[in-house]
Amino acid sequence: MSEFKLTSVEEFEEATNRLLETGAKVGADAWQFRVKNQTPHCKFGEQGTCCRICTMGPCRITPKAPRGICGCDVHGIVGRNFLRFTAGGSATHSDHGREICHTLHEADPNGNYKVKDPEKLIRIAKEWGVETEGKDIYDLAHEMSELALLEYGKPFGTQRFLKRAPEHTQEIWEREEIAPRAIDREVSCSMHMTHMGCSSKPEALIRQSLRSGLSDGWGGSMMGTEFSDVLFGTPKPIDTEANLGVMKEDEVNIIVHGHDPSLSEMICEYADDPEMIAYAKQMGAKGINVAGVCCTSNEVAMRRGIPMAGNFLQQENVVLTGACEAIVVDVQCIFPALGPLSKCFHTKFVTTSPIAQMPDSEYIRFNAKTAGENAKAIVKMAVENFRNRKPELVHIPNMKQKATVGYSVEAIIKTLDGVTNSQVDKTGTLMPLWQCVASGVIRGAVAMVGCNNPKVRPDTAHVELMKKLIAHDIIIVASGCSAQAAAKAGLMDKRAKDLCGAGLKRVCELADIPPVLHMGSCVDISRMMVLVAELAKTGGVNISQLPVVGCAPEWMSEKAVSIGNYVVATGIDTFLGVEPYVSGSSEVTELLTNGVRDWVEASYTVEKDINKLGDAMIARIEEKRAALGV
Amino acid sequence: MTLFERVFSGNDAVYGLTEAAVDAAIAANGEDKAVSFPDTAYALPCYYAVTGVKVTNLKEMKEALGVVKSLMTRENQLNDVFMSGVATALCAEFIEAIKYIDGAKPYTEPCYGHLSDAIIRELGVPLVTGDIPGVAVILGSAPTAQEGVDLVKSYQAQGILVTLVGGIIDQCQELGYKTGANVRVIPLGKDVTAVIHVVSVAIRAALIFGNVTAGDAGALMTYTKDRVPAFVNAFGPLDDVIVACGAGAIALGFPVVTDDDKDVPAIPKSLIIQKEIAKFNPTSLEARDIKIKITNIDIPVAFASAFEGEIIRRGDMQIEFDGSRVDCCELVQTKDASEVEDHKIEVIGPEIDAFEVGTKHSIAYVVEVAGKNMQADFEPVFERKFHSYLNCIEGVMHTGQRDMIRVRISKDAFNAGFRAKHIGEVLYAQVKNEFEAVVDKCQVKIYTNPEDCTRIRHEVATPVFEKRDERLSTMTDESVPVYYSCIMCQAFSPSHVCVVTPERLGLCGAVSWLDAKATNELDPNGPCQVITKERVIDERIGEYEDVNEAVRKFSQGALDDVSLYSIMEKPMTSCGCFECICGIEPFSNGVCIANREYAGMTPLGMTFSELASMTGGGVQTPGFMGHGKHFIASKKFMKAEGGVARIVWMPKELKDQVADRLNETAKELYGIENFADMIGDETIAEDPETLVAFLTEKGHPALGMDPMM
Repeated sequence: MSEFKLTSVEEFEEATNRLLETGAKVGADAWQFRVKNQTPHCKFGEQGTCCRICTMGPCRITPKAPRGICGCDVHGIVGRNFLRFTAGGSATHSDHGREICHTLHEADPNGNYKVKDPEKLIRIAKEWGVETEGKDIYDLAHEMSELALLEYGKPFGTQRFLKRAPEHTQEIWEREEIAPRAIDREVSCSMHMTHMGCSSKPEALIRQSLRSGLSDGWGGSMMGTEFSDVLFGTPKPIDTEANLGVMKEDEVNIIVHGHDPSLSEMICEYADDPEMIAYAKQMGAKGINVAGVCCTSNEVAMRRGIPMAGNFLQQENVVLTGACEAIVVDVQCIFPALGPLSKCFHTKFVTTSPIAQMPDSEYIRFNAKTAGENAKAIVKMAVENFRNRKPELVHIPNMKQKATVGYSVEAIIKTLDGVTNSQVDKTGTLMPLWQCVASGVIRGAVAMVGCNNPKVRPDTAHVELMKKLIAHDIIIVASGCSAQAAAKAGLMDKRAKDLCGAGLKRVCELADIPPVLHMGSCVDISRMMVLVAELAKTGGVNISQLPVVGCAPEWMSEKAVSIGNYVVATGIDTFLGVEPYVSGSSEVTELLTNGVRDWVEASYTVEKDINKLGDAMIARIEEKRAALGV
Repeated sequence: MTLFERVFSGNDAVYGLTEAAVDAAIAANGEDKAVSFPDTAYALPCYYAVTGVKVTNLKEMKEALGVVKSLMTRENQLNDVFMSGVATALCAEFIEAIKYIDGAKPYTEPCYGHLSDAIIRELGVPLVTGDIPGVAVILGSAPTAQEGVDLVKSYQAQGILVTLVGGIIDQCQELGYKTGANVRVIPLGKDVTAVIHVVSVAIRAALIFGNVTAGDAGALMTYTKDRVPAFVNAFGPLDDVIVACGAGAIALGFPVVTDDDKDVPAIPKSLIIQKEIAKFNPTSLEARDIKIKITNIDIPVAFASAFEGEIIRRGDMQIEFDGSRVDCCELVQTKDASEVEDHKIEVIGPEIDAFEVGTKHSIAYVVEVAGKNMQADFEPVFERKFHSYLNCIEGVMHTGQRDMIRVRISKDAFNAGFRAKHIGEVLYAQVKNEFEAVVDKCQVKIYTNPEDCTRIRHEVATPVFEKRDERLSTMTDESVPVYYSCIMCQAFSPSHVCVVTPERLGLCGAVSWLDAKATNELDPNGPCQVITKERVIDERIGEYEDVNEAVRKFSQGALDDVSLYSIMEKPMTSCGCFECICGIEPFSNGVCIANREYAGMTPLGMTFSELASMTGGGVQTPGFMGHGKHFIASKKFMKAEGGVARIVWMPKELKDQVADRLNETAKELYGIENFADMIGDETIAEDPETLVAFLTEKGHPALGMDPMM
């Protein structure tokens, strides 16, 4: 066995630079250049002090002009912008969840989509008080999907999944009036509150930000996660590989990119089809290789072991390899730049969703009813495109790492069962994890999430923080592009245990896990919510007392703010490495970094210095341990 | 206090005591006073293994305390706890070592204190074969003596080696429970620091078998965690010192099971709280992933490898079968399937109820087997196991083989209902159990009439034995088509491979070519694989391309090439559990051999332990070779360097054991009569000058041979 070594960010960059040379040959643009064109960024935008909500403006707040035309002060403007930002993210995640519910409604034993985890469906049905006895599983699926869709627009009541939280958390949500009602209502309400002439009181705007976030994390995202598991199977530990080296020079490379697994699952099915493989061989390729980018990649990696080509800021790189026959996208985080870029190569840029339509793409509208045909057409197009490759432009960086992924809450519990002792312990619980935390063997946990952002040297914050934290016996659960950064670096290789402190190392050895656990895509941060809720219940403590924090060191999207809000509102301190657009308001900043603690027992910390950010998290975890007396 | 704080506090306390003990020892003896444990080549083994430094006197010990202190960091992470646990263990070792100053014997019956290197080497084979499936360390006093003894007994019945520290020793004595290394229950000492004597065993195992470099603490801890199946049972209440010792155990990978549910938090697979003492056993085995081979044999007494070394004295004996006085024998015979009725046990002649207490009798037991894959060559392989099978019966002692056997049955066993037919049950169950791949049916006939025994011995068994001997004597390395690898030891010694040939048995002495052949047929993917020997490289040293390829493969690339017949050129490696070690003696151009049982000095200026520490762990060390006793008289022994004529010295007991065969070989090879008489022993010389004078007087052939170096 070759010796294990992490891949460094410098090596990532070297590979990228080599690809940019190819780009230069064909006159390709790249984010690295566009960032230069866009710098410096607009100060008003960055501080959140520009208001474009009505056409009296735009109004920009300066010391000389402290109020907008309507009289709104900087705190109202920043607060409104923050709430709208949140609502954008919440709407996006939740709409993804809604699509999954619709797909569930299409599930058919003879159709494209089947119920792969009936047990989980029954479990959720029971949780929701739905009769399951003697019911056909597909009838149940359709009934559940309708109930789930009603969560988006039901006139009364709050989200069903809130009951998963510990009593104490539920009480907080009720007390603070942030228990989310219908998902769409929270988005609408946010848009309403921020309309000209509505709320300008920071406290009210931030409170709604939390509520809108909660409607995502404990509503739309959780729906997306849970019903994706029902449809496509609940993830369990599976081995895969990560980084551009997973692309294969002698095979048809199809890259799936985006977030919704409905499309990518079908693509994977058809890429495995013997007929298609034979066709690929006819075209001169040795086979068909599907790899992923962004959260679609996370979804198929953790269910099928499909390799991960890269994360958010690597999406252009896959095209720059010159070996990408098709980059097939669904929704979210897709660079419009892929259109023009694909034109510099033979690559087909295939858009599939009415939600994400882009110029310079082949639009094959994907639909649950015709999913099979759509996917087959896309795979066929990619296969046929193999012949159009320009060999002189092909360069795939020889760089990849092994990763074990697929740690759903169910899989974590199953893994923990392996370290129980049948003479004294019960199985099926998080007790072993709690024991590790309570005894101090593991000091705590950090949920590492979020995107890449050119404001941070890509992946450095993710990778460096993880290295620092695991050396401090802090276990990492990761999702989204943070998870992929870890996988690319090698931190999801079980051998990465050797980079841990003695405590986490021993835990990794006994449980046979990597020190950074891949919990899924960004909607799957809902899994982390379930995990902390269960852990708090197991330990008999409040979530806010757990030595657990959240961290998004390189975040960029609206979704990330929505996530941050529900993580904080769940009682978990959240650490950001990129500033949200709120620095223009001392009141909003104060609320987010301190004031909300009085409501939900947690708040934000923003720190751009990665090292200090890591120290701050470790300090917070140790404070929580001290407070618990463990 | 958190668990970590308790470890730190316990560690601080032990450190304080150790500092005081070292200072007091220096005050009493002066700082140049030597410190050591008896019969070990590893100084203070734990400190040596962790730091790579051998402490030999009190001054060095005082300095070493500073190193220990540097391990005692307090960052509040598990590493600090582990290192504090290790520091606690090292302190305990210092305290224990001080007790041995001036050759003192600080431990008396029933306690053992320090255990010698030889004991560890002996444990190697049973540990790798699973005959000893684990090592239990029981610490403190059980809530009641009965519960404590029941726990000890439960492990013993599973063949687990049990070590005792503290109150449990008194509890065993209180109930008159037999302890001792021969029954695998070893009381170490009553102070908690005595626990270091078993830690020292685990750590020396890493040095001896694992080729762990002293000073590589990381590799050491990985070895003990992955390869030494030990665990701790600590009775509550646990004080800080015990908690600190526990941290050391957990650091080495040994889980701690305790009934103390008040003072410590549970940690999965590491610190397990089991309130019921009666469940300590299954809880511990599960925590350490120890699987017990279940041998359910329908007999009224226990059956476990722990009883293998049990001795039955004349006074405790009900009756005895004695092959040295009357006709006795044991035999395996292959029969046609139609002649064997499976599980038929017949006692032909009187049962032992008919015999007077303390009397001697004849016995002949014949195990008849049938199977499609059975071969006559396997018969002696099965037969050699009878010794172990019968000894595993609680209250039965077996010695010898073939027609020179002696079997004693204790009064306790007899009173528990043990009879001759149960010998049949045991033989049946074990043969079927271990050799199921080749034995389809098995029946046992036990003859107790003197006339039957005489007939079986002389008319049935003797001709078979003669035929076998003839086959064995003609079986040479050249006469067989293939050799076998044996990697049974790799559980312990990950890069060692034995190449087993007819004239060179495994260095542990336990695996002959026939054994390896049988093992291969019984389990084709098992530890013994066929090695062809078709592409010879150098006949003189016995080097073959195919053998090298096999060795490369089975050592995972750790070894490139080996010779079968040379001690100087590419010698075969050792795991560490060899019966004998030979090393070159430069003054006489010869070699000295020492066996594991020999505790004295050799003319090389080293004891067996010290010699043994020169090799092992699967590393080639020209000039030193571990080997089985039987190999000494082989014509292939050091053939490349001139053969047995190089042997200049052996402990007397070993020389007596091998003399007949050795003389025969020397006569055949060199025409020398009574060669054994030319070989020195400890009664003749323990230094090279005296030895050479003796050899010269005897005209030993080695003196005239070329120097080996």
